[in-house]
Amino acid sequence: MGGYSFQPENVQICVIMVGLPARGKSLIAQKIVRYLTWLSIRAKCFNVGNYRRLETAHPTAEFFDVNNPEGERLRKMAAESAIRDMFRWFDHELGVVGILDATNTTKSRRNWILELCRKRNVEPMFVESWCDDEELIMQNIMDVKTTSPDYIGQDPEKAALDFRNRIRNYEKVYETISERDLTYVKLINVGSQVIINRIQSYLESRIVYYLMNLHIKPRCIWLSRHGESAFNLTGKIGGDSDLSARGREYARQLPQLVKMSVGDRPLTVWTSTLKRTQQTAKYLPYRQLTWKALDELDAGQCDGLTYEEIESRYPDDFAARDENKYEYRYPGGESYRDVVVRLEPIIMELERQENIMIVTHQAVLRCIYAYFMNVSQDQSPWMEVPLHTLIKLEPKAYSTDVIRIKADIPAVSTYREKGQSAKIKK
Amino acid sequence: MISLSSDSSPSTSPSPSASISSEDHDGPPSPMANAPSSLTSSLSPPGLSTFHADLATSPITGGFASQMYLTPSAFTSPMRTQSVGSKYLRHQSSSVDEDAVHDALSPTHVSPAQLYSTESGRLFHAGKICIVLVGLPARGKTHLAVSLTRYLRWLGVKTHAFHLGDYRRVHIAPGTDVPDDYFLVNASPSTVILRQRVMAACKADVYRFFEEDRGQVAIYDAVNPTSAGRRVLVKEFSQRGIQTLFIESICDRPEIIEANVRSVKISSPDYIGWNEKEAIKHYLKRISDKIPHYETLDEPEFSYIKLYNAGERILLNNSRMGYLPNRIVFYLMNLHIKSGCVYFARAGRSTEQMPRYKSDPHLSDEGRTYARILTDTLLEHRRSEHTARRTHGDNSPERELIVWTSTRRRTVETSAEFEKRGFSCRQRPQLSQMHPGSCDGLSWQELEKQFPEEVEVHKKDPYRHRFPRAESYHDLAVRLEPVILEMERIPNDILIIAHVSVLRVLYGYLMACSPFDIPALDFERNEIVEIIPSAYNNKVKRIKIYGVEESETL
Repeated sequence: MGGYSFQPENVQICVIMVGLPARGKSLIAQKIVRYLTWLSIRAKCFNVGNYRRLETAHPTAEFFDVNNPEGERLRKMAAESAIRDMFRWFDHELGVVGILDATNTTKSRRNWILELCRKRNVEPMFVESWCDDEELIMQNIMDVKTTSPDYIGQDPEKAALDFRNRIRNYEKVYETISERDLTYVKLINVGSQVIINRIQSYLESRIVYYLMNLHIKPRCIWLSRHGESAFNLTGKIGGDSDLSARGREYARQLPQLVKMSVGDRPLTVWTSTLKRTQQTAKYLPYRQLTWKALDELDAGQCDGLTYEEIESRYPDDFAARDENKYEYRYPGGESYRDVVVRLEPIIMELERQENIMIVTHQAVLRCIYAYFMNVSQDQSPWMEVPLHTLIKLEPKAYSTDVIRIKADIPAVSTYREKGQSAKIKK
Repeated sequence: MISLSSDSSPSTSPSPSASISSEDHDGPPSPMANAPSSLTSSLSPPGLSTFHADLATSPITGGFASQMYLTPSAFTSPMRTQSVGSKYLRHQSSSVDEDAVHDALSPTHVSPAQLYSTESGRLFHAGKICIVLVGLPARGKTHLAVSLTRYLRWLGVKTHAFHLGDYRRVHIAPGTDVPDDYFLVNASPSTVILRQRVMAACKADVYRFFEEDRGQVAIYDAVNPTSAGRRVLVKEFSQRGIQTLFIESICDRPEIIEANVRSVKISSPDYIGWNEKEAIKHYLKRISDKIPHYETLDEPEFSYIKLYNAGERILLNNSRMGYLPNRIVFYLMNLHIKSGCVYFARAGRSTEQMPRYKSDPHLSDEGRTYARILTDTLLEHRRSEHTARRTHGDNSPERELIVWTSTRRRTVETSAEFEKRGFSCRQRPQLSQMHPGSCDGLSWQELEKQFPEEVEVHKKDPYRHRFPRAESYHDLAVRLEPVILEMERIPNDILIIAHVSVLRVLYGYLMACSPFDIPALDFERNEIVEIIPSAYNNKVKRIKIYGVEESETL
C-alpha cells in the first residue's frame, strides 16, 4: 500500500489479541505482521508468553490458576514488560501497528491495556479468536503446544494433558468481548461467523479484510519463472520475447515435474500477460488465469537494454540501484516497492485459495517469495531465483516449508551481484 | 492461449482480479466513431453529440428483449418512458452525466472492472444469488441497495436492484392514493390481494433477470419483516437454484433514522407535494405500524450480514458463498451514508509537446499558471457553495479538502499550490496514468502507421484492448480499486489531479458508466468536474475554469 493515504507519523494502532490458548492467536498475529511488513507498514508482535518464559520457563497448569497469587503477579509483570517494550517501539522505532499477543481474556485486563493505549494516543483494536470446535482445538494443541518451549523434553501426551488443564483455568475467567464502544473483530470458529465493531480507519478495514480471507486448510503454492527466453540469452532485461529452445524444453517438461509434486490435487495456474510465461505454461493441463499484476517489473527507459548498456548509459542510476535496490525506481518505470503495491490483490487472493501455481518473472517472484518467507526488504531484491526451477511452498503453523525442484535443463543465469554488470556464470 | 473458466469447473473459485485478453471479450463493438489523436495523452473523444448519435443505432440499444423490468419511477425524464401494464420499457440513461446505476443491464453487458466472462455470464461459481434486504423503513436499505449495485457491477458481477416500493407505486393507478390500510398488517382482503400482486410482479422481474438476462445478483429491497416470510423466500428461491444472502440494516440511533426520513422525504415520489413536518410524521407512523411485527434476523442456518447503524457494527453469519460476502463486508466497512464530494481536475501542460510516459516531464510555465488558476477557482467555488448553504439555513460545517495526485511529476506539481496553502496532499502510485507501452510518445497518425492491426482492434473495443506492452482501461480499473474504496470511506472532500485516463475510470465508477462510455468521457482542461453523492444517485456538476483555453488533448 505504498501510495496509501494514511500518514504514518499520525496513525499508531495496537492490535490486541484475545482468546483462550490454542485458538490460533499467535498464528494470526504473525500473519498480520508478515502481511503488513511486506506492505512496508512497520509492524511487530509482542508475545507476552515469551516475556513470562524469561522468569518462569516450565510452568504447570496451576501457575495459570487465577487463585494463585504468585502466578498472577508474575503473569501481570510479563504483560507489563511486553507493553512497555511495545510503546518504546512505537516511540523510538516509528512503529505503526503493534500486536500484543496474549490471552487478554478478562474485561479488567482489556480495560487496563485500553487505558494505557489511550494515554499514549495509540488506537486500540481487539482481535478475538473464539473457537468451540473440539477437533480444531485438539489439532492446534497437538501441532503447536507440545513443541512449545514450555514443554521441551516432556512426554507429548502428558504435555497435552497439562495444557488442557491450563486452558481450563483460563476458561473459568473468560469474558468474551461485548463492550460496544471498542474497536474489535471477533472471529468465531475460524470465520464461520465474524463480528466487526467500530472500524475507524481504512488500515483497520484492510487488516480485518485480510483476516476474513485467511483459512487454515492445508495447501501448497508452486512458484516458477518462465522458461529461458530469447532476451535472457542476450542478457537484455524486460521486453516481451519468446522462449528460447531450452525454455521451450522446460515448458514441455513442466507438466511432468508439476504432476510429480502436485499429484492428484486440484490446481490452478496463474501466469502474467507476457508471452514467455504463457508459453511456459501452455502444456499444463490445469485451469489458467492471466494477471497483469504478475508482469515483470517495468524497467522504463532501461527496458530492452543489457546491464552493461545500462551501466554505460546511466552510470549514476546503475550505482543508485545497487545502493537501494528495493526503493530504486527505473526512470519511467517501477521499483520493487511499486511491484509489491500491485501484487497485493494477488496475495489476498492467494490467501483465499488452495493449491495455486504461479508462472511469473524474477522480480515478481522475489516479492511473492518474500511475503511467504518473511524476507526483508534489503535482502529480497538480491535473492537468487534461477530459471528452470520449481519452488514449492507449504505454509505451516509458524513457518513455511520450501522445496526447490530443479528441472534438468541448463539455462543462463540472470543473477547479478552488487556492483557487477557482467553475467556471473553460464 | 488463455483458458477461461466455465461454471462446471469443480475447483476453487476464480480469482477476482485476473484479466482477460482482448480476443476473449464477447461484448458488442464500441460506438466510437472517431479515432483518438494520441494514446499517451487521451483517447480524445469525439464530441458527445456524435457519440450519442451513434447510440441510436449502436448494438447497445438495439436488440433487447421486449419484456423488461421496472425502472424506478423517481427517475423519469423525457427520454425514459414507462408504461403500466404487461410491458415495461428498458431504462436508458440519456447521457453519461446521469447516474446509470438504476439502468437495466443488457444480457451481453460486460462490466468496467470485470475479470473475465464465463459462458453463463456468472462469476465465482456461486451461481445465482439473491441479496434480500431486511429492515424497517428509513434504515437506509435503498441507499445500501444502490451502493452495493454500483460496487458489485463495477467488479463485474451482473447486479440489479429491485425496489418493492417502485412496484407498489406502479400498481396503483396514477392520480389515486395508496389504500389507507396498505401498510397495516391486518388489511382488508382486497388490499392483501393488491400487495400480493405487487410482490408477484417484482418477483417475476427478478426471475426474468436471472433467467433471460443471465443476471447473477439480484438485490431485493423490501422490509421482509417476518421470519416466516423470509423462510418462504429462501425456499422459493432455492427451488429455482438461487441462493439467498440476507443483509439486515438495523438502526438504534434515533438521529440517524430521522436524518434518513428527512432525506428520504425529499427524494421519494410518495411525498411529492406534502408539507415536511406532515411527511415525517406520516412516515414515522408507517414505521411504528410495522414495528410490533418486525422480527430481526435470527435464523442460524441462513447466510446473513447484519449492518448496525450504517456500518458501526457488522455481523457476518455462515458465509458459505465465500468470496462475495467477504467482499461485500469489506465494502460495507468503508461505506458511509454521507460522504464528501469528489472533484476531478487534469494536470497542467508539460514541457513536452507530446509528453512521453518514460520521461515523466515537468510542468511548463503555462502548466504552472494553470495550477494556480485551478487552485483559486476551486477554493472560490467551495467558498461560494458554503455561503449559499449558510443562507439556506444549512449550518453543517465545511468538509475539509484533501488532494490526491499520482507520483508523476505533472500531477504533483499541479498540486503544489494547494500544498502551499496548507492542504493535505497525498501522492499515490495507483493513480498513475494508463501505461502506454510501445505507444509512448506516438501521435495517432504514427500509431496507425506502426500498429495498423492493433488500431483496428482497438476501435472495436477501446476499453479492454491493450496496445503492445500497454495497459487497458480494464487494467486501470482493477488497479484503482483500493483508491475507490478509500474514496468511499473518507468523509472529506477529495480533489483528484490525475491523467485523463484515470479520471475516466474513477468517474465511470461513480456514475456507473458502461465500458463503452468510459474511454470516450470528456474532461476538458478548463473544467473541474464535481461529483456530489446522495442516497439514490450521484450528481455531476461542471465548474468552469476561466483563463484556461478550451483546446484539450494534452
